[in-house]
Amino acid sequence: MWQTGAINSEPAGESVVEGGAIPYKPAALEKKKANFANRRTNDPEAKCYMPGIPRANYMPYPFQIVQSPRGIMFVYEYASANRLVNMGKPEEAGSDTWMGTNNGHWEGDTLVVDVTGLNGLAWFDRAGDFGGKELHVVERFSRPDPYHLNYEATIEDPTVFTRPWKISMPLYRKVEKNAQLLEFKCVEFAEDLLYGRFEKQPPK
Amino acid sequence: MRKRLAIAAASAGLLLSVAPAWAHHAFQAEFDKGKPVHLTGTVTEMEWINPHSWIHIDVKNPDGTVTNWMVECGSPNIMLRRGFTKRSLEAGTELTIQGYQAKNGTNRANGSSVTFKDGKKLFVGGSNPDIPEDQQK
Amino acid sequence: MKHSVFASVLVAGLSCLPSGAQAPAAKVAATPAQANWTPPKTSWGDPDLQGQWPATANIPMQRPANLGNRAELTDEELAQRESQAKKQAAEDGEEVAKGTDVTINPPSYWVERGKPVRQASLVVDPPDGRIPPLTPEGKAAVQAQRGGLGPGSHFPDKVESPEDFDSYSRCITRGMVSSMLPTLYDFGNEIIQAPGYVLIRNEMIHETRVIPLDGRPHVGKGIRTYMGDSRGHWDGNTLVVETTNLKAQPGAGGGLFSDAAVLTERFTRTSPNDLSYDLTVNDPKTWTRPWSLHMPYKLDPKYTIYEYACHEGNYMMLDALTGARDLEKKGQSTKVDR
Repeated sequence: MWQTGAINSEPAGESVVEGGAIPYKPAALEKKKANFANRRTNDPEAKCYMPGIPRANYMPYPFQIVQSPRGIMFVYEYASANRLVNMGKPEEAGSDTWMGTNNGHWEGDTLVVDVTGLNGLAWFDRAGDFGGKELHVVERFSRPDPYHLNYEATIEDPTVFTRPWKISMPLYRKVEKNAQLLEFKCVEFAEDLLYGRFEKQPPK
Repeated sequence: MRKRLAIAAASAGLLLSVAPAWAHHAFQAEFDKGKPVHLTGTVTEMEWINPHSWIHIDVKNPDGTVTNWMVECGSPNIMLRRGFTKRSLEAGTELTIQGYQAKNGTNRANGSSVTFKDGKKLFVGGSNPDIPEDQQK
Repeated sequence: MKHSVFASVLVAGLSCLPSGAQAPAAKVAATPAQANWTPPKTSWGDPDLQGQWPATANIPMQRPANLGNRAELTDEELAQRESQAKKQAAEDGEEVAKGTDVTINPPSYWVERGKPVRQASLVVDPPDGRIPPLTPEGKAAVQAQRGGLGPGSHFPDKVESPEDFDSYSRCITRGMVSSMLPTLYDFGNEIIQAPGYVLIRNEMIHETRVIPLDGRPHVGKGIRTYMGDSRGHWDGNTLVVETTNLKAQPGAGGGLFSDAAVLTERFTRTSPNDLSYDLTVNDPKTWTRPWSLHMPYKLDPKYTIYEYACHEGNYMMLDALTGARDLEKKGQSTKVDR
């Protein structure tokens, strides 16, 4: 078991939650605390599971937005996650998935994405914050200048929270020459965590 | 399935199209040929996940206790393309399962045969190459 | 487009084409072009290849040896494949299970099948439709995997660690070339275009290749990935994509891509419903000569790609490993029946 020192420690950061606190119901707050206590092994990110919405948009890995006649594609570097936002007639979720069923439309110059059909298994961050099976997220993307997006997400789940709540943050455009996504397929990094103790020669 | 196709291939001059390299993942590593199961139970939940979905069923044992089994089924994407959604299989539906138990002894089995009480297959429907393409699905 | 606020950034790049050894694509089994048909253009002037092109064609990778250099089936052979497929479809479509052959495998109707076609094999060059032999270096690279045991397999010989399985079973990826090719189900491929880009989505396993068309150079040689690094350009109405920087993963025919591997794909829409796909693999360190395949995609506007989140639900890996350890504790054989 490696001691990673200051690497993988968590520095301070201001909350992105409007109002400061996530309005958990009492039982859900206990679950969040348990998630936090077990985050090293239970964080879906540690397992290389897909990050879900909204978390995919503020991971420490870049993503690319491609606008096309077939919809708006979000391609995330982390775990090859992706989602195609349907810009036509809204479609209902046939099943629940990690990246949800995404229906989008424009309100002026703001892209609004209504996300349903989320499976409630993803976390919102590395601190164990989570949503459940009735999670519903409405995102708003706007562009104040060429180099930033303003990202807002309204989050609700009556089984977990006492009311809807909102996060907002700027997203910064990568301006390197020939900026592109690289591949981060992380399953192999997570296999020891998931299966190590069931291998014939468990990793040290 | 693979066994039947292999025999046909030998006699038809290797015309069959299913290449073993793309066949199913290691079911042989997962399930135990020596532990056949024949279960009847009621659906408690369906996990709509890939690579294979899982139907959870409550099976009443001879001694009156109830055991919850997980039965491995196909990719949900196939079902969605055939018009089945998460609302299509209700909790409480009675099913009959035939398959083999997991090698690790847990209450998991592969759904080689999954039918309703009257013998109708669950989520039946293969592709019919004779159906004109614009009428398929 | 009115709301083009976030259009993908076009990076001003050099107009020179990416370099790399390219073998001419064999056209032994070309998708027939519709006479006097020009593909439509996108609103910004690129040939429009967009749509759902699932890899449903029921074509084996390599040609049976008895067909020799014949690239197409005879009428009788095709009729035989078609009647087999019809019989299979009828069995799949039976509502009631009868005299069920209960096995360890899933029932056959879990498969999404394609129509048989006349093309005898995906591989069309060499002319015998079989992947060329490996070079000595290629063979050595394969053997060196897993400390000399060779690569992990879809049907593992032992179950001691996830590495005994192939990257498909581990739910990592099907990689290049396989992600573009038929499999048993969920073989969706969607082409999405935007100014300066072509995107190729593969349903299994939720891949997206973002292919820039601006002639920018490939990434540095030290970066090697499962899907490689792709660069595209138009050659008339044909999209040509060159992919390098491939990881040492199984390419096909038992070989692993070396750092010299260059894949060249050519996509040409030959009719409203046909997309001709030619792929040439040029990896002189691995195979004794370049080889090519042809895949005739057909448009399916009703096809939808759904999320295929594989690793997140990979009970097989957990159950196979715990099962093997259980058997070991009981002193029983853990050998996997093929």
